[in-house]
Amino acid sequence: MNPSKETVVVVPCSGIGKPFGTVSREAAYDLCEDLRPGITRLVSLAKLVLGEAGARDLVARHPAVTIDGCKQMCAAKMVRQSGGTVAREVAVLDVYRRHKDLKPEGIAELNEAGRKLARVLAEEVAESLDGTGQPVKGVVHA
Amino acid sequence: MPEYLEMTADKFTFRVAMDRLYSPEGVWVLPEPESTQVRVGVADYLQQHNGDVAFANVKPVGSKLAAGEQFAEIETIKAMVELHAPVSGTVVEVNAALHAGPEVINRSPYEAGWLAVIEPAAWQTERPKLLDAAAYFAVMQGQVQEDLKGL
Repeated sequence: MNPSKETVVVVPCSGIGKPFGTVSREAAYDLCEDLRPGITRLVSLAKLVLGEAGARDLVARHPAVTIDGCKQMCAAKMVRQSGGTVAREVAVLDVYRRHKDLKPEGIAELNEAGRKLARVLAEEVAESLDGTGQPVKGVVHA
Repeated sequence: MPEYLEMTADKFTFRVAMDRLYSPEGVWVLPEPESTQVRVGVADYLQQHNGDVAFANVKPVGSKLAAGEQFAEIETIKAMVELHAPVSGTVVEVNAALHAGPEVINRSPYEAGWLAVIEPAAWQTERPKLLDAAAYFAVMQGQVQEDLKGL
């Protein structure tokens, strides 16, 4: 929940070669550019890995939502290693398990089901940021 | 806890439990203690190779299986994996934990992530066709080497 509308950083997976990583990034774009642009800041996982000062400063100052494409949970791990706090830890796989009809396919370009899955995930996170959503399975409130 | 044969390739370590038999595909078969039944599941390499499991569907209790017939299907983040019965027989139990959390296959492929218990129909004649741990380990090493060529 985010009743004070504090800025939240969103860190998606940077995995390549599998649709679930692409879903994580599409969902992050939906969330930050369309659904909640005023209260979210997209942070590149690669910049955290490189130790880029601006990215590290953002995650140090604001709670993070991480969206990971697989159970390695690289985004969540990297935020913590960078000194940040993971407020919500989302795994695309957990969301897909609740929406089996939305099977993502394609990597560079997702199929329609994959796009919908990304949108569903983004909407669930957006609602949880507002504090209006129901508890979301797969979204860990740290 | 079983003992394991292990090999490391790239950043991955693959384990083969030494207390059971295997199909070349990587389905393990563990005779139940003081029983005629066998427990089956997927080997560590098979689960790691295919990635995080999203859904696992095993044929229901009572299903009659021929050796080599598909008895389970696992959907992972990479692929839809068909698994074939290592022995003929009847499914007498399916792991209920797979429904609530199929990722147990990734977490614990040789123990909590088992798939089914089967009452074999022809154990004495089919058992010799299965691989022991050392023989499956050699098969797995070949599969891993093939994977590495693709990197």
